[in-house]
Amino acid sequence: MDPTIKDFEAALTELDTIVKKLEDGDIPLEQSLQLFERGVQLSRFCHARLEEAERRIEILNERGQLQEATNTLMNEDESQKAKGKGQKSDL
Amino acid sequence: MSSFFDLPFEDDDAAAAPPPPPEPEPRRVLTVSQLTARIRTTLEEQFFEVWVEGELSNCKVWTSGHMYFTLKDRGAQIKGVMFGSSLRLLRFKPQDGLRVVARGRVSVYGPKGEYQLSCEHMEPEGLGARQLAFEQLKERLSAAGLFDPQRKRPLPALPRKIGIVTSLDGAAVRDIIKVLRRRYANAHLVIRPTRVQGEGAAMDIMRAIRAIGRVRDVDVVIIGRGGGSIEDLWAFNEEVVARAIAGCPVPTISAVGHETDVTIADFVADLRAPTPSAAAEMVVSRKDDFCARIDRLTHQLETTMSARLHRLEARLRMLEARSGYAGAHGRVAMRSRHAAELTHELRRAIRTHLARRERAYHALRLKLETFDLRRRLGAIRARLATADGQLAAAFTRAHHRHDARLRTAVARLDSLSPLAVLGRGYAVCWDADRTHVIRDAATVDAGDRVRVTLHRGELECDVTSRRPQG
Repeated sequence: MDPTIKDFEAALTELDTIVKKLEDGDIPLEQSLQLFERGVQLSRFCHARLEEAERRIEILNERGQLQEATNTLMNEDESQKAKGKGQKSDL
Repeated sequence: MSSFFDLPFEDDDAAAAPPPPPEPEPRRVLTVSQLTARIRTTLEEQFFEVWVEGELSNCKVWTSGHMYFTLKDRGAQIKGVMFGSSLRLLRFKPQDGLRVVARGRVSVYGPKGEYQLSCEHMEPEGLGARQLAFEQLKERLSAAGLFDPQRKRPLPALPRKIGIVTSLDGAAVRDIIKVLRRRYANAHLVIRPTRVQGEGAAMDIMRAIRAIGRVRDVDVVIIGRGGGSIEDLWAFNEEVVARAIAGCPVPTISAVGHETDVTIADFVADLRAPTPSAAAEMVVSRKDDFCARIDRLTHQLETTMSARLHRLEARLRMLEARSGYAGAHGRVAMRSRHAAELTHELRRAIRTHLARRERAYHALRLKLETFDLRRRLGAIRARLATADGQLAAAFTRAHHRHDARLRTAVARLDSLSPLAVLGRGYAVCWDADRTHVIRDAATVDAGDRVRVTLHRGELECDVTSRRPQG
């Protein structure tokens, strides 16, 4: 990713600032175009970060190793109805 | 002092030989010691192990570590002692006024003629041992600053990996996964399974929290379990768990039982969720928030920019409608030649400027076109059309600047022009075809034709004679 963007939160804050600056409208066209470009870049970064996480479930075992979760756990939402544990829980 | 109840009684004979008097005998007289010995035997055999309830008073722990107290109810009281070794095993701190159930034996202290409850175990009655232990731990951890608001860390804006510490068999893990899948389909979860109830569960949870806090990119941890009895949830009231949560390097969310269940873990965690499902929502609802925020900002960015381009375009049109610097043409020849050159230069400058801007614009346009194609393509394209105004605007700006430059240049030309001098009565003499100014009489011969430019008009003259200098 772009080295000039620290992280998601920083990107969002900068985007916020840019929009405010542009709305003030007191800056030269050249600079406002640069800001706009930067804003678009930040916005893309943020969206990319939102989509970037992998859909995965890993189990950290007693020995500190990570393993992919079994399918039953992965597909919990589908198989949930069929397999209500006999626990007294409304969750 | 610790063993004074167990001191052997001085009169061993009396203790060893209980009297069997079926028939009234003439006056069997006992010594005080003998009587006491018999009382002692009777009491200690009869009340070898007894449970007794009452209210504590006069509690005092001696430097030896033993505690002395009085246990009483409305009608009676009994002195009691609890040795340090037993005292240390209690989960609560005995205090005056507390109603307790005590287990122990009755012992007699002969030298003072007193009997006492030698207490081995005690638990608070009414409040409940657990409740009291809870309150006391809460108080202690609070005093240690573990619940301080300034300790609470904000959740990451967008978690990279979500850590979960819970049982794989319980309802909680299913609930969390279900919610996350629904609201943040691509969430990356790392689960550290642990027992959540029963003997040793607290230690297990503590180890799990420590382990998951070390996993790379895990930047928030949900710790919890589904609903259950207060005993089932008890592990989350243990100090080791509380300390592990406090020591977790990344923010924590506690999610134990139902909304009404409050555990020590809830106080220590950075955030308390009423249920495991709610904890999952607290993590992913942030994604929803941010999606909306980014979209809003992006929209503002685009509308602000396009509004500006619109304004510039309007200004350009206005400028084009005016005749502007076109009037600079058609003046004195020399001046117009200069003006033309200047205009040419101006045009070139504008072209260069525009070319540069156009390249920037194309780069921008490329970015815009690839920007978030899925959702905003239509809107972006529409805005791109208006962004053409940007080029026009660039022209406007250059135009303004160069127009001003042109005016100054022309003004300066005016002041320097030799033609201005003609007004004062000077004349310029040219050769016949008006290509050269004649500066030296030697360059013409008699009979040549010359042209003379006056302030107004021109003369054609024939040279009749010449007088070269020198």
